[in-house]
Amino acid sequence: MKTLLNKAKALSIISLPAFLFFVGGCSRIDHKQSALDPKGLVSQNQYDIFMLSVWITIFLFCAVGGCLLYVLWKYRAKTKEEAMEVPPQSHGNSKIEISLIIASTFILVILAVPTLQGVVLMNRVPDPNDSETLDKLGLERSAIDDAITVNVTGKRFFWIFEYPQFGIVTSNELVFPASKAVRINLRTEDVIHSFWLPKLAGKMDLMPGQENFLWFIANEDKIRSRKDSDGNVTKVSTEVAMPSVFNGKMRERIFAKQKFTDEFEAVGGLFYGQCAEYCGNSHAYMSFRALAQTDSDFDSWVKRFQISQNPNKQPGKYSPEEKYSKGELVNFPDPSLGKSVSRDFRAVDEISKGQAPNLSKKVWEKAHSDDYEMGKNLFSSLQCVQCHAINRTGLGSKGPNLTLFGLRTSLAAGWMRNDEKNLSKWLRNSNEVKFGNLMWNGEGVDDNHPLRNLENEDQKVNQLVTYLLGLK
Amino acid sequence: MATESIKYLSPDTETEIKTKSFPRPHQNTSGIVNWLTTIDHKKIGVMYGMAALFFLILGGVEALLIRSQLWSHNMDVLTNREYNQMFTMHGTTMVFLVIMPLSAAFFNFIMPLQIGARDVAFPRMNTLSLWCFIAGGIILNLSWFFTGGSPAIGWFGYAPLTDTRFAEVVGDMGPDFWIFSLQILGLASLLASFNFITTIINMRAPGMTMMRLPVFTWMTLIVSFLIILAFPAITIALVELMFDRTYGTNFYDFLEGGKPHLWQHLFWIFGHPEVYILILPAMGIVSEIIPVFSRKPLFGYGLIIFSGAIIGFMGFAVWSHHMFTTGMGIVATSAFSILTMLIAIPTGIKIFNWIGTMWGGRIRFETPMLFALGFITMFMVGGFTGIMHSSVPIDAQHQDSYFVVAHFHYVLIGGALFGLFAGFYFWLPKLTGKMLNEKLGKLVFTLMFVGFNLTFFPMHYLGMIGQPRRTHSYNEGHGFETWNQIATVGAFILGAGIVIGVYQFVTAFFNKKLKDAGKNPWDARTLEWTLSSPVKEYNFARTPIIKSRDQAWENNYGPKENHSEKEPLDDHGVHMPDRSWYPLVSGLGFLCLVIGMLFHQSVDVNTGEILRNYTFAIIGGTVAIFGIIMWSLEGPAGYHLFPKEEEE
Repeated sequence: MKTLLNKAKALSIISLPAFLFFVGGCSRIDHKQSALDPKGLVSQNQYDIFMLSVWITIFLFCAVGGCLLYVLWKYRAKTKEEAMEVPPQSHGNSKIEISLIIASTFILVILAVPTLQGVVLMNRVPDPNDSETLDKLGLERSAIDDAITVNVTGKRFFWIFEYPQFGIVTSNELVFPASKAVRINLRTEDVIHSFWLPKLAGKMDLMPGQENFLWFIANEDKIRSRKDSDGNVTKVSTEVAMPSVFNGKMRERIFAKQKFTDEFEAVGGLFYGQCAEYCGNSHAYMSFRALAQTDSDFDSWVKRFQISQNPNKQPGKYSPEEKYSKGELVNFPDPSLGKSVSRDFRAVDEISKGQAPNLSKKVWEKAHSDDYEMGKNLFSSLQCVQCHAINRTGLGSKGPNLTLFGLRTSLAAGWMRNDEKNLSKWLRNSNEVKFGNLMWNGEGVDDNHPLRNLENEDQKVNQLVTYLLGLK
Repeated sequence: MATESIKYLSPDTETEIKTKSFPRPHQNTSGIVNWLTTIDHKKIGVMYGMAALFFLILGGVEALLIRSQLWSHNMDVLTNREYNQMFTMHGTTMVFLVIMPLSAAFFNFIMPLQIGARDVAFPRMNTLSLWCFIAGGIILNLSWFFTGGSPAIGWFGYAPLTDTRFAEVVGDMGPDFWIFSLQILGLASLLASFNFITTIINMRAPGMTMMRLPVFTWMTLIVSFLIILAFPAITIALVELMFDRTYGTNFYDFLEGGKPHLWQHLFWIFGHPEVYILILPAMGIVSEIIPVFSRKPLFGYGLIIFSGAIIGFMGFAVWSHHMFTTGMGIVATSAFSILTMLIAIPTGIKIFNWIGTMWGGRIRFETPMLFALGFITMFMVGGFTGIMHSSVPIDAQHQDSYFVVAHFHYVLIGGALFGLFAGFYFWLPKLTGKMLNEKLGKLVFTLMFVGFNLTFFPMHYLGMIGQPRRTHSYNEGHGFETWNQIATVGAFILGAGIVIGVYQFVTAFFNKKLKDAGKNPWDARTLEWTLSSPVKEYNFARTPIIKSRDQAWENNYGPKENHSEKEPLDDHGVHMPDRSWYPLVSGLGFLCLVIGMLFHQSVDVNTGEILRNYTFAIIGGTVAIFGIIMWSLEGPAGYHLFPKEEEE
């Protein structure tokens, strides 16, 4: 009986991890937010050290556990009489003890060396003049010289991404060039958050009153390679792996190729991140995405943002004193939309002075649909604009910046796919989607707030959706 | 002096002495008064244990609610705030109201028996420690019923989330309950620890040198030192937090120049030694059990004790490994990383020595031994993942993910709780005089071992594939579902095992069907096994004179010169101190003080001013001090017993 139990115990110790690995192998290979699938230099380093530690500990577990099993088997009391025997009463052996101490110290040194190297790598972007280190890491000098900087601000419960080099601000989706190092400065305006981007960089906390730092660089090769269910690795083209964000191709590809719930990510350049420090009610919902881009696509994206967020490049009010060239936009009242509602008109041709926008003469055309213009108007009248900035950097606003929202792949801090269905669900009752979110529950929002009364306003919701998704 | 009130009467009858000024229950009082006024370390140990088992069930229910919520993506078992309250309460309960008091239960019951003492050094202080612990448990769980419900701040309550500025419910009182509960629990731990240290240093039987102390007693001593050195840090941190919340100071308020980092440092300077406060008692228990069931003395006794002391000492030098991702810079993270790796060495030594103990023995697989072996293997897994976390780059991925959740549950359930359960199965026959049902014990072990691994092993993987801890929900499409479902099923199996175990422990006191244990059912080695089961209230009729380590074993198997002797009975017999109401009075006083502090604020409806009324708190504090003064004045008083030679 006793030996049977012993066997069962030994079996369970061995078979349990084996069983779990077996199940793990069958279910899936790729995970959206997995640290086991590094796609960047820093995360690869972290992964390598992790795997080293895994092998060390598996070795130790087998050695010590094997020793334990051997002892339990060899010295088990087989009979009742044997259980009453008195074995030799030895008290210890200092030679064995000392050699075991030395051995374990030695094993720790194996782990300590790469650990210390890793600490330096995580905390410092390599010096571009130090060609030896760059060679060792396989980095081009330009990757460091042209590094981009992103100031990340965490707020309950979303992320602000500011690009100080370009003077633009976006939120919840971090767009970055795959070939360049990305320096991340981390700040918070309320409680502690933690920026965790498992496939690229590990994590770093956002501490109030202090600026923390983290950096990463993606590996284009790894972004382009895809593993199928048999474990074969294939390379896909850059356009497939990193579709461009600025013209909406990224969004199309993520949406079109597969369902949101599909197991394998069609787009290698899409990364999932998450707040990893408990920050309050909706902590679980505080996720974000990072989108890798080729250099030229990234530049185009930056330009689009710079134009959108430049106050001098917004369509001005129509002035009869000016001439307008083809394609220019002006803002002018359109009574067909309602009293004192303006819309954007586009010049179809060269327009001389004094030709006020008027659709009947065919020299001006609507820049956007009626629904879009109504939605834009609602965005102000329903007080959305009090918290959300559109077409301005709006640092310090309470809510996420919504500039070029129609290019975003996700909604509500990376929580769901940014399509018409989800957006209208979100606008109708965001509390049902993300209980406790601050758009619904924040300061100054009560039951009288127009936002809380959109549930059955089909028309208004549709117009808002058209407007927001039309921002592209 | 109070002791002068004892008059030595003729030694042939049991006698009693009453002091006239203070009412004290009669020595033979039974029922509830017996338990409320007792100063017997054994009864206090039992009450500590029973209360902790109750909180174990409570914290377990909270855990099962957490696991149910995580069954699949976007579940609605709990709202997010309820979930956040659950994990806060689960963590706080399990650390402060389960593992620590369970250890304290064993310290109380076993340690005086192991060193040949009749009681601890300060029996009434010991009772006060018990009532403070109960008061702390009550205060923490009272929070459910007041504004904001229980705290939703996580068990380490990181600033500035605890600041009133960031409260998510207006007038949230949860963190206040949490603060005061921890303060009063700290008081309980400090009182107990000073008591144990004094007892172990001063009240050892003649011949019981420090290097003859049983390992469990050594661990009691080390843990007590850890507690008295670690708790001041959290006491200060909590006082500062209370000041921030109540009086508007700015210790942690970054907007006013405070530093959230300060909280983390203070908390973890306490928090990391706390980890060893939780695990060392279990290591002590296992170090007692393995020699008994291998029928060999502990391999490397000195080294095991020394490594325990080293672990305790180094525990104060590694706190910042909880803060690797807070931006401490290269030098600090590297230093703490290396120190943390070093702590693996003394821990490894213990495991080598336990295996060395079994080497060449005659190993029996009874329930205590099964739990001890479960402890070794599971603690090894937890230790190995701990080594991984000591490496900063690895920690950058693991920190605050489910990997860490898996790690510390392997250490605290697979380690501490398995060790404590081993202790229950090992020592309960000594408490009750009855053997526990061996079959049921093995069933409990199987359920717990299987359920535990099913619950927590998948969490390693969950953490690696990106599930962050403390999230009440996760999105579909991450592949978290299957693993969480395995974990939830495992958690219910583990829960079933624990419930059956607790049922077995509680009924052991009443169940008439169980076999008699006799003095030494396991053929065990240490001094407590020379006593009758259950132990008489005076423990030792005559104080033993210790001749060797493992005295019970030597008495049975050792050479004649190693057998213990007994001091002659004093002519006044065994002096037993009287019961006392005052520890209870003091405990109630502290409870009132805390409740008074919790509710001292009110808002004037007309002016909006904050009104402060300390009357109740002051009354409570006065009662607490009154109780302590009164017990000093009443003295031990007591009566004398004249047990016959064989009655021990």
